[in-house]
Parts: sequence; structure tokens; C-alpha cells
Amino acid sequence: MVSNTSEIFIGLFNQFWFLGVLVSIVVLGLMTYLMLRFRDQGAKTPDPEDAPMLGKIPEDRGKIKTVAISLTLSSLILALLLGGTFGAIDAINNPPQGTLNVEVTGFQWGWKFKYPNNYQDTVMTVPKDEVVIVKIHSDDVFHSFGILEFKIKKDALNGRVNTIWFVARDAGEYNIVCYEFCGLGHTFMRTKLIVMEPNEFQDWYSKLKPGEIQHAPVQQGGQQP
Amino acid sequence: MSEDHQIPPTSSISRWLFTTNHKDVGILYLVTSLYFLFLSGTLALLLRTQLAVPNNTFLSSAAYNQAFTTHGLIMVLWFLSPFAFSFANYIVPLQIGARDLAFPRINALSYWLYLFSGIMLLVSFFVGPADGGWTVYAPLNTARYSPNIGLNLTAGALVLFIVSITISSVNFITTILKMRAPGMKLMQMPMFTWSILITVFMMLYAFPSFLAGVSMLMVDRTLGTMYFSAPEGGSLLWDHVFWFFGHPEVYIVLFPAIGAVGDMIPSFTRRPLYGRKYIILGLIIAAVVSFMVWGHHMFVTGYDPLVAKIFTLTTIAVSLPFDVIVVAFIESLVRAKIKLKTPALFALGSIMLFIIGGVTGVFLGSVAIDHHLRGTYWVVAHFHYVMVGGGAVALIGALYYWFPKITGRMYKESLGKLHFALSFIGFNLLYFPMFINYDMPRRVVTYAEQAWAFNNFLATIGAFVFGLAQLLLLYNLFTSMRSGAPAGSNPWNAFTLEWATTSPPPDYNFEETPRVNSDGTVSLPKLTSFANGGTPSGYSAPHGLPHQSHLSPFPIILSALAFFALFGIVSLTFIPSASFSAGIVYLWIFFAALIMGGFAIYGFAREKFVAPEDETLEGWPFKNIGRMKMGIWTFMASEVIFFGVFIGAFLFIRAGTAEWPAIDTIFKIQHGAINTFILLTSSFTAVMAVVFSKKSSKGGVAASLALTLFLALWFLYNKATEWQELFHEGFTLSASPISSTYYITTGAHGAHVLGGIVALAVIIGGVLKGRYLGHDHGTVEYFGIYWHFVDIVWIFLFPLFYLL
Ligand code: HEM
Ligand SMILES: [Cu+2]
Ligand SMILES: [Cu+2]
Repeated sequence: MVSNTSEIFIGLFNQFWFLGVLVSIVVLGLMTYLMLRFRDQGAKTPDPEDAPMLGKIPEDRGKIKTVAISLTLSSLILALLLGGTFGAIDAINNPPQGTLNVEVTGFQWGWKFKYPNNYQDTVMTVPKDEVVIVKIHSDDVFHSFGILEFKIKKDALNGRVNTIWFVARDAGEYNIVCYEFCGLGHTFMRTKLIVMEPNEFQDWYSKLKPGEIQHAPVQQGGQQP
Repeated sequence: MSEDHQIPPTSSISRWLFTTNHKDVGILYLVTSLYFLFLSGTLALLLRTQLAVPNNTFLSSAAYNQAFTTHGLIMVLWFLSPFAFSFANYIVPLQIGARDLAFPRINALSYWLYLFSGIMLLVSFFVGPADGGWTVYAPLNTARYSPNIGLNLTAGALVLFIVSITISSVNFITTILKMRAPGMKLMQMPMFTWSILITVFMMLYAFPSFLAGVSMLMVDRTLGTMYFSAPEGGSLLWDHVFWFFGHPEVYIVLFPAIGAVGDMIPSFTRRPLYGRKYIILGLIIAAVVSFMVWGHHMFVTGYDPLVAKIFTLTTIAVSLPFDVIVVAFIESLVRAKIKLKTPALFALGSIMLFIIGGVTGVFLGSVAIDHHLRGTYWVVAHFHYVMVGGGAVALIGALYYWFPKITGRMYKESLGKLHFALSFIGFNLLYFPMFINYDMPRRVVTYAEQAWAFNNFLATIGAFVFGLAQLLLLYNLFTSMRSGAPAGSNPWNAFTLEWATTSPPPDYNFEETPRVNSDGTVSLPKLTSFANGGTPSGYSAPHGLPHQSHLSPFPIILSALAFFALFGIVSLTFIPSASFSAGIVYLWIFFAALIMGGFAIYGFAREKFVAPEDETLEGWPFKNIGRMKMGIWTFMASEVIFFGVFIGAFLFIRAGTAEWPAIDTIFKIQHGAINTFILLTSSFTAVMAVVFSKKSSKGGVAASLALTLFLALWFLYNKATEWQELFHEGFTLSASPISSTYYITTGAHGAHVLGGIVALAVIIGGVLKGRYLGHDHGTVEYFGIYWHFVDIVWIFLFPLFYLL
């Protein structure tokens, strides 16, 4: 797993997927079976005794027992999923002591990252195996800051600061994507997350001069095809 | 025109322009909504073509954004509900044994407003479409970020559309609750009628929230208020207001489909529906809970984690009633004799797709999983499985099912089955791959990831299979309409009352009103003249009742004028200051339409239009309340939500504002207190008017109403002086979120006072001519109800702005 967040997501998603596929197969299978089993085969299929007819409103049929059984079953399944969800969301929401705080600002159309030493960049660089806390904010419209491979996102709003946190597990390059439609350049409101080995990161970070911008400033207006 | 009892033949244009008959209006809805389906479907095919391969440049970003926005808006608003309501119009009165809806002219008005709202949307599409998605998130939707006239026109289109929906809801509620065949208990109503009843209740409470939101957007964009541009309200305010409407809306488009399936199943399984009671109960519970789950669209906005957990809980809870419904449908198949005719295939297929949509929705209901799935193709796949699979597919089944009733002819069965097979396969090929692509962001014009390419390609192939298959539907219906085999009155051997009359039914539906006896048997009307597919003409009234009118020119005239008035005023807001002459033209359009509208309303009110109230009809538990009164009360319910949302927005902004001005600084208590006193007194004089009116005291009514009028004018005068003072102090509309909420909330109230003044003037005029007295006291009473409501709203506004 590339990060603790993707681990949380995939663990929970697999639970949902397993139960969801199971339920779907059972229910859809049952339905198909019933459709074939009780299809009208002419004289071979007897006419039901309670067949509805014009001129009489049929009596209600149906037992509360069936309803109760199916409700209990699905409540059990849902309770299981609810338990998993609450555990996972607590982990997602409650960051441990962070080692690195990065402020990210979304704008039409790009992302800016600001480090504790005031260094600014358009690409996000973090060390692996350390708790990174991201403070998310927007300069203009509604955006959503998501790290595709880490399976985590939170909205970037003007007038409010949202927080996510993660621990990256593998060094490498990942994709930062905007997940809320924000206008003409939305599709191209992307950048990279670079995860470095801790010592490599220390090295990189200590050489930065405050206020310096390393990568090219983002072009306002975004590219278009 | 209404004196003319003969309704023109179907070949006559004037029939289609002026009809108020529910079946004709149903057909108009059907044709229009199908037109929108194919239009929006074409846009969808453009979208899928663009996405077929990575890095495609078939559409530009701008074109793509406009296409998916218009596609979404049309499919959800201008196609699905109107499509469902074409059946509601045609079938519901037949199912409950009524001869028309409670307010036939209002029904025609709903249709024409719907059509003109659609035209306004199309106009906006050609002058610079909205491009922020059908959810039009803030603050991208404000003038600063989207300075295009298209969005203003779209907002205007939405206003017309919402008015149409609201009056139509009132109409259906009154009809279903008050005009059932004698003896028909609520629980004996067919499933489709039940689903429509529940749907219109949801509409009545959900759409006013949207209307309030769109109104705030309009004033933000035109008058410079700050609901959605200031951080105190902004993005999150729109989110709340929109989704408070938005989640019920997705049930609104779904429920009629469930109801139609509930009627088709007994016909094709030859057994009564299993667990009918529980299905109805499930629908009601889901409808109520649907107003408590909107937060699941906001899981990643960063609001309070506890709130997020509560919304997870309510969302997961709302899946339980659907569980009951689906299980009951499946149980219905046991020991049945299932005839897999085309409607049955669509109905059962739709249940299957709905199951997949429901299961994948549970994923999205989990706040933790939503932290990745929000804004991805998982969402796109999910809502298409629910809305297209669960909704549209079932309604297409309903079209096959009721086609013989509407046209008197059968469609071609083999073509229908082929249509189903291609649709079902195409559908799954189109949407299932999107689940696998759950990393891919939605609303992007293209992508570079090779990993997503294959599934996107499959989806595009599926899209063309699914889309082209729908041409078979058109072909089948068009050819069968003329040359299909005669259907007879009850081709499916069904038991609901729409099958108890000829196909198509005569203008007055039934030769005699059907009666439901206490043992559940139904005394059916006899089928005379036009059995077997002939087109009935001529007119016959049920004995003892006056002739029902079927024609009125006012619905279309009023709708057209509303269109032009709105078009004028909206366009006016977007004239660059240079083109003064164009501005004058728009201003003229606006005023001309407004003045003519005044005359048209007067004409509408004075037209002799007969919609007899039949005392024998079943109206439990509202039997003794007049139709009109029932309608007014129902309408007031939607007004409550409308103001509730304005007040809610005010509280939301206030909670987000650090420094609120101290009491009696900006808003002088003195002004508010005097106006409170004035309005309370006017409530009293309005009551007096009703009392005098019942006693037929002309002088008394006239005096009390005149006093009410005077007090209302005084109220507005005070309001105007107060506003003027505030403006002088620089407290203008766009000064702060505080001033924005103040002017708009009290302004909306003031507009209601103004409406009351106009009504008063008209009523006083009538009273002086000797109308509205004694037996005819209803009008004065309806005004009283409205006026009390206006006063009560003020009772809330006064402390909120002046005292707290
Ligand atoms: C009854 C039929 C349909 C309904 C109710 C429906 C509804 C919607 C809605 C609400 C949206 C979201 C628009 C937005 O993001 O603002 C949407 C998007 C979309 N729909 Fe449909 N749709 C229907 C049929 C189709 C069909 C037949 C296709 C394919 C041929 C299709 C393909 C798409 C695509 C590609 C998007 C864009 C997704 C995105 O970029 O976010 N839809 N649809
Ligand atoms: Cu974006
Ligand atoms: Cu929802």
C-alpha cells in the first residue's frame, strides 16, 4: 500500500465490495431463477387462484415475517459496514502529532503549496514514513484536493480551512487531482506529489530559501486541448 | 370558448393548444418529455464520443462542460419527472375513477409553463449555456466567475419550471385526496397513484427550497447581494440549500417508476402484489427520511465529524425501506404465472438495475469510502443505475404498458423485446465499466491514464448500443399508433380502473362513475359505443352534473407571457451599459408582458369554466373541505418551506459572521414594532371580512377589506421609509451579507404583502359589485388564509432581525 490512507480505503472498500457482490449475486440470481421457474408455460403452469381481475380489488397478501427477516438480514450487513465505516473515519479525521505541515491553496486553475519555512511551490514534496498534515483552502471557487493513489480527498473552500493527513509508504511520484468541478480548467487542475526518502527530503528541505519558488509558477488559466 | 361543449377532434391544432383535458395534457407531456430525452441523449453521445479514447480532442473543454451541464439538467428536470407525469396526467384520474384533475386549467398551465421553461433553457443553450454542472456549485455560479447570460436564463427557466411543478403538485394532491371513486379507500388505490401521491408531496416540500436557492442566486447575480459570494455563506450555503432539495429530487424521479412497476407486476405475474402495504409504508418512510440525508453529498466539505456520522446513519437507514420494496417485488414472483411481455421485461429489468444502483449507493453513504469516491466515475455509474436503470427503464416499460390504453392499439411485441434486450445489454456495457474506473474524476473533458482507456472505450460502445436502441422504441410506437392491432379495453387483463373503460377512453372517462363496494368488488361502468379502439368523440356528462369544460385559451397565454416577462427582465440584467437601445427593447418586452399578464389573469379568473364538484366522490379524510380550500392550504405548505429556507440561510450566514450589529443599531426596533402592530391588526380586519362575508353584509365586507388594504399599504410605506434611511446610511444590498439577507428576506415578505394588496383590490372591486357574499364567501376566506400566513411570516422575521 502506498499510504496509510489507501490502506484504510482499500480495506474498507473490500469489505463493502465483498458483501455488495455477494448480496447482488444472491438477489439477482434468485430473481432470475424465479423468473424462469414461474414463467408462463401455457397449460403447464396453473392459473394462480388469486389472479387479479377487473371488478375486484385484490386482497392484500404478504407476511410481516418475510419483511422482518429480510430487514433483519440487511440491518446486520449494514451494521457491519457501519462499524467499519466509523472506525475508518475516526482514523481519517484524527491526525497524530504531525511532523510536517503543508498549506495548500487551490485556485482557478492550479495548486500552491506552502511549507513551514515559507517556501512555496506548485508541486508537493513530502518525506515517506512521516505524518504529513495538509491544510486545504481555496482562493476562489469550490475545488476538491485529492491524491489519487492515496485515495483521500477533501474540499478546498474559500473562507474555511480543511485538514487531511497521511503517511506515505513508498517513495515515488503520485497524482494530485481536483475532484470538484471548478470551471474551464478543471480537467487540467492537476499536479504531482513527490514522496522522498526521509534523508533525501531533509537534504532538499534544508537547501530551500524561504520565499523561494522552485518549480515554474503555475500559469493562470490552465491549459486546454 | 368554454361555452362550446364539443371538444375539437385530435387533428385540430386548437385542441392541442387549448385543451385542459387530463388525457390530452398527458399526451402533450409525453411528446415533449420524449423530445427532451432524445435531445439530451444526443448530448450524452457527444460526451461519450469525447471520452472514448485518452487525450481526445473531439470536444473542447468549454463545449464538454456545456454539454454535460445541459445533459444533466434536462435529464433530471425536463425529462424524467415530466415523462412520469405524462402518465400521472393520463392514468391517475382513470385509476381513481375521476373525470379529470381537480383544477383542469391549472393542469394545462403546468404543462405550458413546463414547455416554456424548456424553451428558455434551449434559448440559454444557444446564447451561452450554463456550464457549471446541474448542481451549479457556488461560488462558481456567481456573476464574478460565470459572467454569462446563459446562467441567468437557466435560472429563469428553473423558476418557470418550479412554478409549474408546484401548481401541479397542488393539483394532484387535491385530486387524489378528494376525488376518488365512491367507496375507494386510500389503501385501495393502485400503486402508481400511490407513488404519484407520495411524489407530489415530496415535490411540494423539496422544490420550494430550490426556488429559494435559485432566487438567491438570481439576486446575487443581478442585484449584487452576497449570499453565495461571501465566505459567511458561500459554497456551503448553496450546498445545503441545493442538496436539501437535491436528495428528495432523486427520489422524486424514482418513485413514479416504482409505482408503475408495482402496477405492472400483478398484471404480468397474474398474482396480487406481495406486501403491498409494506411497499406503500416503505415509500412513505423513504420519502420522509429523504429530507434528512442531504449531508451525504457534503461528506468531504469538512463539516463536523459527528454530523457526518449522523448523515451516514440516516443514509444507510434510508436504504432499508428500499430493501423492503425490492424484496416484496421479488416475492411477488413466487408461484406466479409470469408473462414476459415487453412491459414486464422492462419492469423486472429495471428492478435488477435498481438493485445494483442501490448496493453501490451504500458505498457512497459511507463517509469513509466517500473520502475517495466523491466526485469520481463511481458516482456517475451509481446515479445512472438508479435514475436511468431504476427510473427511466421502468417508465419505458410503463410506456409500453399504457400505450394500448392511450392509442387503442398494440405495439409490436417482437420489436419491443429486441428493444429491451439491446437496452439492457447496452446499459450495462455503458455504465458497469464506470464502477471499475472509480479513480477517474468526473466532469473532465479528457484523461491521459492508459489504465482508464479500456473501460471508457467499452462505455462508449455501450452508449451507442443503448442510445440507438431507443430509436426502435420510436419506430415501434409510431408505426403501431396507426397500424397496430386493436387493443381492446383491457389487453393485460389487469384489475385497475384505467382498464375499465375503452381504449382510448372518452372525454369524460367513464360512462358512469365506478363504485368500490365494501367487500372490495367494483361496480364497473358499462362499456358502450367505442369499444375496440375507435376514437370516441362527442360529449356526454354524468347524470345530474353540469357539463365539464375542456378548453381554455388562458393557460398557454399566461405561460407565454410569463416567459416573455422573465425573458425581458433577465436579459435586461445583462445588457452592457453601452447598448442602451437593446435595453429599452427588453424593458418593453418585460412591461408589455407584465401588463398583458395582468389582463390574462383577470380573464382567467372571470372565464366561465365548469369543473363540477361531485358530492358522491370519496374524499376521506378531507370530504368536507372544498377543493379550492384544500388547494390553497396545500400551496401554503410549500410557502412555509420557501420562507423557511430564506430564514435558514439567514441563520446560517449569521452563525458564520463574527460581529453582528448590536440590537437597535441598524435595525431600529421602533420600525419593526410599528409594522408588527399594523400587520396584526390587519389580520383581525381580515377575519372580520370573512365573518361579514358569511353574513352577506356587503358594507361590512367592503369596509373591513378596505381597512385591511389601508393597513397593508401603511406597512409597505413604513418599510419603504425604513429602507430609504438604511440606504442613506450606506447599508445597501451589496454592503455585507447582513444587508443582503435583510433586504432579500424582508423583500420576499414585502412582495407577498404586495401580492395581497393586488388581490385585495380585485376582491374589493368584486364585493362592490355584489360578489363574494353569503354562499360565495370562499374567495374572502382564501384571501384570509393567505393573509394570515403573510402575517405569521412577519412574526418570525421581526424578532429575527430586530430583537436578537
Ligand atoms: C434517463 C437518462 C439519463 C439521466 C437521468 C442522466 C443523468 C445525468 C446526470 C444528472 C449527469 C450529471 C451531470 C453533471 O455532472 O452536471 C449525467 C452526466 C453524464 N451522463 Fe447522463 N443521464 C442519462 C442518460 C445518459 C446516457 C444515455 C448517457 C450515455 C450515452 C449518459 C452519459 C453521461 C455522461 C458521459 C455524463 C458526464 C459525466 C461527467 O462528466 O461527470 N447519460 N447524466
Ligand atoms: Cu476542479
Ligand atoms: Cu442524496
